[in-house]
Order: sequence, then structure tokens, then C-alpha cells
Amino acid sequence: MFSAATRRGSGLGFAMPAILLLAAFFVIPVVFLLTRSVTEPQLGLQNYAALVGSTTYAKVFFNTFLVAGVVTLVTVLIAFPVAWALAIMPGRWASVVFAIILLSMWTNLLARTYAWMVLLQQTGLINRMLKAIGLIDQPLQLTNNLIGVTIGMVYIMLPFMILPLMGVIKKIDPAILQAAALCGATKWQALTRVLVPLAAPGIASGALMVFVMSLGYYVTPSLLGGTANMMLAELIAQQVQSLVNWGMGGAAAFLLLLVTLGLYAVQLRFFEPKEGR
Amino acid sequence: MLLDFHKLGAWRWVLTAICAVMSLFLLLPILFIVALSFGSSRWLIFPPPGWTLKWYEELFADPRWIGAALTSAKIGVIVMVISVVLGLLASLALVRGTFRGRAVLRAFFLTPMVLPVVIVAVALYAAFLRLGLNGTLPGFVIAHVIVALPFAIITITGALETFDPAIEDAAILCGASPWEARLRVTLPGIRHGLFSAAIFSFLISWDEVVLAIFMASPTLQTLPVKVWTTLRQDLTPVIAAASTLLVALTVLLMIAAAVLRKGKSE
Repeated sequence: MFSAATRRGSGLGFAMPAILLLAAFFVIPVVFLLTRSVTEPQLGLQNYAALVGSTTYAKVFFNTFLVAGVVTLVTVLIAFPVAWALAIMPGRWASVVFAIILLSMWTNLLARTYAWMVLLQQTGLINRMLKAIGLIDQPLQLTNNLIGVTIGMVYIMLPFMILPLMGVIKKIDPAILQAAALCGATKWQALTRVLVPLAAPGIASGALMVFVMSLGYYVTPSLLGGTANMMLAELIAQQVQSLVNWGMGGAAAFLLLLVTLGLYAVQLRFFEPKEGR
Repeated sequence: MLLDFHKLGAWRWVLTAICAVMSLFLLLPILFIVALSFGSSRWLIFPPPGWTLKWYEELFADPRWIGAALTSAKIGVIVMVISVVLGLLASLALVRGTFRGRAVLRAFFLTPMVLPVVIVAVALYAAFLRLGLNGTLPGFVIAHVIVALPFAIITITGALETFDPAIEDAAILCGASPWEARLRVTLPGIRHGLFSAAIFSFLISWDEVVLAIFMASPTLQTLPVKVWTTLRQDLTPVIAAASTLLVALTVLLMIAAAVLRKGKSE
């Protein structure tokens, strides 16, 4: 009798085309880019010193973390009640909301960003509606600043928070909340002391994912934020494309990579469900 | 009781209201573009003073838009084929393979998905400058396969994991060669996974902006690049028309995916 292994080989050969492709066009280029940060224009850490030392770049980092933080917070605050409702709503309504979420998620990113550029501009619908109901006299500046970026990003990130969170809440045993009620907990206590803590790992891991994605986002910040409100991904692109400063671009890319991988490590360490060991 | 919709009391209405507002927030901007694409105002006044098809006429009369859409479709199809084939092979190795380090390999395959795409774009741009691949079809295809492959692998490994290898073994015991068993038993068994992987891979390439911006040249650009460069100049309603067609395509593909899911559950 032959064993599965000898009949099929170890199977590693099947993975080779994909491995070679990723090695040649992903690993080597990324490593090469990162090494340029310490070799161009000359060997040394001067690019990192310049990144850390200048107020211009400090503002870019500040913008990036501020927007990512605010976007994450707002997304969590909206996504939690929605995910909660979706997890327990009667089927028909839940599937309508679910379809809308999927439609929004799969609609072309540029189309969605375009919609917000039009809606938020000075003569846009939002400003005219606010004016019509008498809330403002002068149109608000909602694009080419971080307000526009935040609104556009929340719009894009919501599905990424709602869908996983819904899965987490669906898995919570309703009996635990019944027990809380039987023990005399008010609804508010049951929410803050039972439901939210039980959903906390899901909230935390979703929030971390949204935060990481926001940190490296390029399209929406550059279209809704304008050049005066640059974020990290735009800085990398600008250094490479317009200034042809590969050292600086590589250094900024390395910092973004470091933060991203660091946060993913936190995610894997603390929030991954540990499978039956 | 917080997890029983009918026992929520007044809170039920609060949750329903939040859900409704959020749904409108997600849906209205999309409907808004669709409406604008048929509106007669060049300055995107809403509600439009009249209705027209002239933005669509302008779109279809411009060979650059058509050319960009054809380029996108061509790249998308090539990316779809390569990503499904490589994804299938890699998934067979990950799920059926017996070599050590499969978990590490799986994590490695997924890294292009978790890294900020701008890093991949800049790194590939540098490499392609040396190789002369910027602004070429192979350049676009390679870049898009890198980001589509993780999704294909996730989808296909998922399908393979639920397909019992004993069925393949049975075919071999009945006299099929291992390759015959793979081609005629396993492949049809996971066809829903392969179709989803194909749709995903195509959509990822079709919608991809950041890599495409770096790979594009004045003579070769994809539809998203054309939208991007036009958007940076002005907010013309032609973009609304192009976006509406993209939304229509999304809806069609979503329906296709839903039909596939239904076929799977039968």
C-alpha cells in the first residue's frame, strides 16, 4: 500500500509558481526599496533623521494618526449598534441592510470618493441643505481638508467593521444575556457589562484593522484632502513620483511598514481566536 | 434579552433607526451619482434641472474612455486566469501537501493583502523602471496578480478544505491516475470556489487604482486611472456616467455571486 505522501509527493512543487512570482515581484522589490532608504543619497540614516526632525513631516505623521484614530472611533461607534441589530433582526430586513453594505463595499472606490467630492463641495448638496434649513449662512469648507477625508474614509471603512463584528455578536449565547436579566440587570447594565465586554475582542480586532488600513490609505486622502493635508501614503508617493527622492520615499515606506506589521503582530498575539489546542 | 429582537422594547426602535440611517448613508451617495449621470447640469446641481443622456454620449464618443475600459477588461481577464491557476496550484499545496511549514507559507501568500498597497506600488514601480515594464501590459498584469492572488488562495483553499479528499482517493482506487482524479473529480467538486475566485480576481484588477496609477503611461492606462486623472482636473458629470456603469457592473457581479452561492447550497 502506498502512502498519500509518496503518491502525491510533498506537494510543495505546486506552490512553486506562486512562490517564485511573489519572491520576484513582491519580496525582492520591497526589500530593495527599503534598503534604498539607508543607501541613497549616501550610506547612513540621514533620511530617517530628516523624517523625524522636520516639522513638515511631523505634520504628515500627525495628520495620518489623527485621521486614522478619528475614523476608527467613529466607525466603531456606528458599526457596533448596526452589527448588533443585524445579528438579531428578522431575516428580511437584515438581508436588505446586508445587501446595501455589500453593494457599497463592492462599488468602485473612485466612484464612491467622487460622490463625496461632489456632495461635500462648497456648492454641493450638503452645504445647500444646511443653508436651506438655516444652520449656516456661509458654505462650510468640507473638502480639501481633514473633515472631508474623515467622512470619506468612514464611508469606506464601515463595511470592514460591521461585517466581522456581526459575526462576533452572532456567536454570543443569548442565554448569557437572559441570565443577566434574570439576575436583575437593567438593559443598560446588560449592555455595558455583558454585551459590550463579550463583543470586545471583535470590536478591538475590527478597530485595529480599520486603523491599520486607514494609516496606509492613499486614494481617498489625496482626493478629498488636497496637497496641504498630506498623509503618509501620499508622502511616499510624492517623494518617489514628483521628487524622485527614493531614499526618503523608502524611509517613509519603512516606517509605514513597521507600524503596520507591529499592529498586525498585536492583533495576532491578542485577538486571534485560539483554536482548540 | 438584548439578543432577542422582539424583547428589546423601545431599544428596538433605536437600533432600527440607527440601521436605517446608516443604510441611507451608504446607499444615497451611490444613488446620487446615478441620478447625476442623467442630470443635465454640468455643475452637478441637484436635483438636476432636466434629464439627459449626453454624458453617456460624451463618454462613448471619447476613444480614451473606451480604450481605458478595454485595457481594464483585457488586464482583468488575464489576471483572473493567472490568479485562479496559480491560486489553485498553491491551494492544492497548502491543503493537500504534506511538507513542513505550510502555515508559514499560507501567511506568506497573504502578506500582499495586508501590506499598504502604496508600498507594493512604489516598490514595483522601482523594479519595473529597471526592467522596462512600466506602462506595459505585462507590468499591469504582474502588479494586479500580486494583489489578487491572496484572495484567490483564500477562496480556493476554503473550497478545498470542505471537499473530502477520500473522493479523490476513491477515483484513484477505481483506476484513475492522480492527475485524472484531480482534473475530473476534485476540480468539478470545487468549481464554486473557483468561480468565486475568478470573480474576485477580476473585480480586484478591474477596480484597482493605486498600483495602476504607478504602472500607467500616457499611452496605456486602465479605467480607474482614467477616472483618477479626470477627477484631479474637474468633477465633470462624465465621471458620474462612468461610475454609474461601474455600479451596474458591480450589481450584476453581485447577483452572479449570489446565484453561485445558491447553487452551492442546493
